[in-house]
Amino acid sequence: MTAVPRDLRGRDRPDRAMATLAAVGGAYRSLARRPGRAPTPVDRTLHLRVAERVVVADGVVALRLAAPDGRPLPVWQPGCHLDVGLPSGRRRQYALTGDPADRRGYRVAVRAVPGGSGSAEMHALAVGDAVAVRGPRNAFPFVVRPRMLFVAGGIGITPIAPMVRAAARLGVDWRLVYTGRTRASMPFLDVLRSPRVAVRPDDEFGTPTDLLATALAGAAVYACGPPPMLDALRADLPASRATALHVERFSPPPVVGGRPFRLVLARSGVTLDVPADRTVLDVVREVRPDVSYSCRQGFCGTCRIGDTLICTDRAAGDRLVLDL
Amino acid sequence: MTTLEDPADLVLVARDVRFDWADLPMHWLPGEPVGTHVLNVLHLLLPAGERFFVDLFTQALPRIADPDLLEQVRGFIGQEAMHAGAHDEVLEVMRAHGVDPRPYTDQVEWIFDRLLGDGTEAFFVERLAIVAAVEHLTSVLGDWVLHADALDGAHPVMLDLLRWHGAEEVEHRCVAFDTLTHFDDSYLRRARAMVLVAPVLTWLWCRGALFLTAADPACPRRAHLVDWARLAWAGVVPNPLRLGAQVAKWFRPGYHPSQDGSTAAAVRYLATSPAANR
Ligand SMILES: [Fe+2]
Ligand SMILES: [Fe+2]
Repeated sequence: MTAVPRDLRGRDRPDRAMATLAAVGGAYRSLARRPGRAPTPVDRTLHLRVAERVVVADGVVALRLAAPDGRPLPVWQPGCHLDVGLPSGRRRQYALTGDPADRRGYRVAVRAVPGGSGSAEMHALAVGDAVAVRGPRNAFPFVVRPRMLFVAGGIGITPIAPMVRAAARLGVDWRLVYTGRTRASMPFLDVLRSPRVAVRPDDEFGTPTDLLATALAGAAVYACGPPPMLDALRADLPASRATALHVERFSPPPVVGGRPFRLVLARSGVTLDVPADRTVLDVVREVRPDVSYSCRQGFCGTCRIGDTLICTDRAAGDRLVLDL
Repeated sequence: MTTLEDPADLVLVARDVRFDWADLPMHWLPGEPVGTHVLNVLHLLLPAGERFFVDLFTQALPRIADPDLLEQVRGFIGQEAMHAGAHDEVLEVMRAHGVDPRPYTDQVEWIFDRLLGDGTEAFFVERLAIVAAVEHLTSVLGDWVLHADALDGAHPVMLDLLRWHGAEEVEHRCVAFDTLTHFDDSYLRRARAMVLVAPVLTWLWCRGALFLTAADPACPRRAHLVDWARLAWAGVVPNPLRLGAQVAKWFRPGYHPSQDGSTAAAVRYLATSPAANR
């Protein structure tokens, strides 16, 4: 065994307690004889078909996805999303917006975004088309509180709608503020009819400024919408009567304003190109799938190689060298 | 009011927390220097363990054959790395107050680096079992700290660190267990790991409390075993009997961490944590 650390109280001798622990550790290590198994690969893909396609608002298509044999699908809770594999190979996440009690189909609603490749592919799907999905997973966990304020901006209504229905069913004292550009662009208005719902299209009410005004004292806010709306909510929360703000955990933002550069992996002598719109991590993963990373936003530090956080850092000039 | 079932299938993501330690007093549990140090042991004990988790699970990643588990382990690694970093900051504050935690942290690092360092393939799985056992304890502690109202009078930044950490421990309480069973579902292995982990950590915790109360010149006296009962009665440290009962659940055949703890409580706290919602 390796040298035992010095005595904890500074006496000039190896620490006796640590020496004992080393003996225990050695005995324990000798008990570990049996190796683990090679894990059996698990395929989490659900092979579904488009069972229904409805235009639910200007530029918004709702799809119902179901198993070809009609068998029940894995359960989900309000706030869950599906990870959809598109025909091009791209993957996109869409919030589930139907009824969790309906086990035969998943409902998602997609707004066509100008220049948005994922939404264009989703809109192009027709009834009967095959779609491979993974999930449902929950990045927006819903916890019932006595008083709740829901805030939805445009297509952000998709995860909020099942939460509102659950809150109503469970006797919550709830409110919903639903904003959008125009009434015609806002889906599900027909099913959200209640005195508790404030519909606030910009063309009638102007850009909303007081989204938390109707929050009851101690209310938990669940919000989904464009980033500026969420930033405004975050800023307004302390001065409001609401006490908690729940938002969806987003995947990292795409690279904007990056410049392409050369990446040199010094130890392996490999040179790679990092394009303007990709991270060092993306490029390294192609040749080193085992490389460590987690947050992909430059704060957790698990991807650090030397002084470089490969998930966000870029070359200062036209070349970056990694000790890899 | 009825409730929904506990949120499940959570996407685990590290949170970019920041803590402002500028006005943290040495004894952040008012009027309770010994109690402060009993809890301070966590700052000394956890970072080395969490870095060990990060390294071990990073090694496990390429061998995981379940895409959902893979994503959870990915998030787990980031969360544990953030925990370690946050506790390290507190060590800096302690140093500034004239308490050098190094003799103790050196020993903890030695335990994780050397005693639990590299080994055979069988020991790789054994180490996963050790982490799963430690994670059972951290989730029990996390559940405790989320509900320990007696701590409400503690310094708010420290309380936020403890509750943010506790909430993420509850949030990711199944990951290490599921990773272990992915490689080996031997009951013997997991039981044996807890037989090692629970007494050793309890002993290290007591030893740390003795060390810190002796190292802090402003602490009136050293900790004593009786303090544990006194502080548990006051509700500022976990009740050892209740803790023991929760640890014992680990030994139930068919046990799974999802049977215990409340993800809802964790989600509720994380939506109000100042550090996690800057
Ligand atoms: Fe942790
Ligand atoms: Fe943990």
